[in-house]
Amino acid sequence: MNELRRLELPAEVQAPRPPRLVNLLLPARLAWRQLRAERARLWTAIAGVMFACVLVFMQLGFRAALFDSATALPQAMHGELFLINPLTTAMFRPEQFPRVRAFQTLADPDVAQAVPIYLSFGTWRNPVTGVRRTIQLVGFDTATGAVVFPGLEAVIEALKRPDTIAFDRKSRPEFGPVPQLLAERGPFEVQIADRRLELVGLIDIGPSFGADGNAVMTETNFRRIVTQRKASNTDLVALRLHPGVDIPTVAARLRQLLPADVAVLTYDELVAWERNYWETATPIGFIFMFGSLMGLVVGMVIVYQILFSDIASHIPEYATLKAMGYAHAYLRRAVMSAALLLAVLGFIPGILTSIGLYQVVAQATFLPLEMDPERGMMVFGMIFAMCAGAGLLAVRKLRDANPADMF
Amino acid sequence: MPPEGATPPVAIAGLTYAFGEGELRRPVLRDVSLQIRAGEIVLLTGPSGSGKTTLLTLIGALRAMQEGRCTVLGQELLGATEDQRVLLRRRIGFIFQQHNLLGFLTARQNVAMSLELDPRTTEAERLARAGALLEAVGLADRADALPSKLSGGQRQRVAVARALAGSPGLILADEPTAALDRVSGQEVVHLLRDLARSRGVPILLVTHDPRILDIADRIIEMEDGRILSGAPVD
Repeated sequence: MNELRRLELPAEVQAPRPPRLVNLLLPARLAWRQLRAERARLWTAIAGVMFACVLVFMQLGFRAALFDSATALPQAMHGELFLINPLTTAMFRPEQFPRVRAFQTLADPDVAQAVPIYLSFGTWRNPVTGVRRTIQLVGFDTATGAVVFPGLEAVIEALKRPDTIAFDRKSRPEFGPVPQLLAERGPFEVQIADRRLELVGLIDIGPSFGADGNAVMTETNFRRIVTQRKASNTDLVALRLHPGVDIPTVAARLRQLLPADVAVLTYDELVAWERNYWETATPIGFIFMFGSLMGLVVGMVIVYQILFSDIASHIPEYATLKAMGYAHAYLRRAVMSAALLLAVLGFIPGILTSIGLYQVVAQATFLPLEMDPERGMMVFGMIFAMCAGAGLLAVRKLRDANPADMF
Repeated sequence: MPPEGATPPVAIAGLTYAFGEGELRRPVLRDVSLQIRAGEIVLLTGPSGSGKTTLLTLIGALRAMQEGRCTVLGQELLGATEDQRVLLRRRIGFIFQQHNLLGFLTARQNVAMSLELDPRTTEAERLARAGALLEAVGLADRADALPSKLSGGQRQRVAVARALAGSPGLILADEPTAALDRVSGQEVVHLLRDLARSRGVPILLVTHDPRILDIADRIIEMEDGRILSGAPVD
C-alpha cells in the first residue's frame, strides 16, 4: 500500500483547466470505446449514416448530372461570345431572331467570325427497329471551324455533300446501334423527318433532358430537312474573336451596337442561361434537394436512435460518472464525439459506395455522374451536421442520468 | 489537504430536507446534526425511508441543500453552485449498491476513469496507478478483464479500487454488500476498511447488513429523518 503515492488535491485550489485538446480527446476516446463495445449497434449506425450518405450523393449526383447534361449542347460549342434571343428559355425551345444580327457583329474589328446556328427537332427512325424518336437537329456552316464538336473535324468534307448528317455518338441507345452500324457498313442511309439522309460520321455532344440525341449537319442540309421556317432567321450565333482581345469589352461594345432583340452572352453566361432554366423553371432542382433532405432526415433518425439507446442503457453508469465528479458537459462531449465518429465512420464507406454507384448509374443512364471533391466535402459537411443534430437531440436524454438517484 | 484536526471532514448542523412542494411537502430529514472525524468509519443504519440515503446524497454533493449547514472537506454545501459541487465530488469516493462499472471498459480502465479528472496525470500514470490499486484489492491478475468476466465480489472490489483511486478525502458507500453473498460482502468491506484506515480516509457507509457492523467505529441509527443514537462501538 505504501508504494501508492497520494494525489494531493488541495481543497481551496481549483484544479487548473486541462488543455483544450485533452478536454475533447478523453470524451472522444470514451465514446469510441463505448461504440466499439457493441458491434451490432455500431454496424447499424454506420449503415444508417452510410445510407444517408449514399442517398445524398446520388441525389446531388443526379442533380449535377441533370444540369451538366442539360447544358451539353451549349457546353460543346466553342465560341467566345454568343447571340441569343432574350426570349429563349432553353436550347430545346429556341426563339428565332434575324440572322442579320450575326453579320452586324462583323462591324466590330475584334470579331473574326459569326456563325449562325440553327436548332430544331425532327423525328428519327431507328435504323434497326424502325421506331421513331425525336432528335435535336443542329445546323451550321461546319466548314468554318468556328464551332468544333469533338469528332467534327473528321467529317467536315463528308458533310459538304447533300443530305448528310453526323450523329451524336452519346445519344441514347433508343436511336439504334449507330456507331456499330457505321463501323460495319460505313456511311448508311437513315431517315429524319420523312427525308432520307446519309449518316457519314460521329461527333460527341451528349443527351440532355431536353433532347435524347443530336444530329449535326450543314446549314444547307438543315434547310432541306426543316422546310417550314423563315430562311432569314436563326436561333443562336457563335462569335469567334481574334485571339487576345478582351472578351467583356467586345461584349459591351456589341450590346451597344445591337438592338434589344438579341442578348450578347459569353460562353459561361450561355451555359448558365441554359442551366438557369432547368434550375428555376422546372421542379427538378427542388425534387433532388428534397430527396437529399429526406436522406439526411432518415440518417439523423437512425443515428439519434442509436445514440439514444446507447445513453438509455448506460444511465446508471453515466450517473456514476457524474457522482465521481464528471461534469454534465463532459458527458455531452462524449455523446457528441460518438455522433461525429459515426459521421466519419459512415461517410467513408458511403463515399466509396457512391463512387461505385455513380459508375453503374452513368453506364445505365448515360448521364455524366462523377464524384468531385467539392461535392464530397459538401456531403461530408451535411453528414457531419446530420450527426451533430442527432447528437444534440440525444444529449437531452443525459438529463436522466441523475447521480442523486443512484442510491 | 485541509487541516484535518481542526475541521472535521464532515460537519452537519441543523440539516433539514424535504421532498415535494406545498401540500405534498414531505420532510425526510429533520434537524440532523452529525460530525465525522478524520479516519473515522461510521455506519448509518435504520429502516427504509428513514432518510439515511438522502443524507448520504446531500453529503456527497449530489443534491442541492435546502436548510441547515453541511460542510464537507471544507466546502460549505448550502448555496454551493453546481460547479462547486462537481469539484467536491471529485474529492469523494463513491461506492454504490450496484458496482456501476462501465461495461465496455476493462477493470483497469474503469479505475483510471476516476483519475482522468485530474489533468496533471498522464495516461501512463493513470493506468499504472489503477493497476496498483487493483493489486491492492487483490485483482492484479484480472486488471484487463471486462466487468462481465468478473464475479459480483470482484466487481465490487473494482468499484472500491475506483473509489480510492482519486485519493478521496471521504468515502461514501451505499449498501455496498447488498448484492453480494456473505463471504464476498465481508471481503469487500474489510478491504474497504483496511485501505481507508491505511490512508486515514473517513468512511460513511449506509447499510442494512448486520454482518458488517463490526467494521464500524461508530454506528448511527436513523428513524423518521432524525438521528436516534450515535454510540461509539467498542
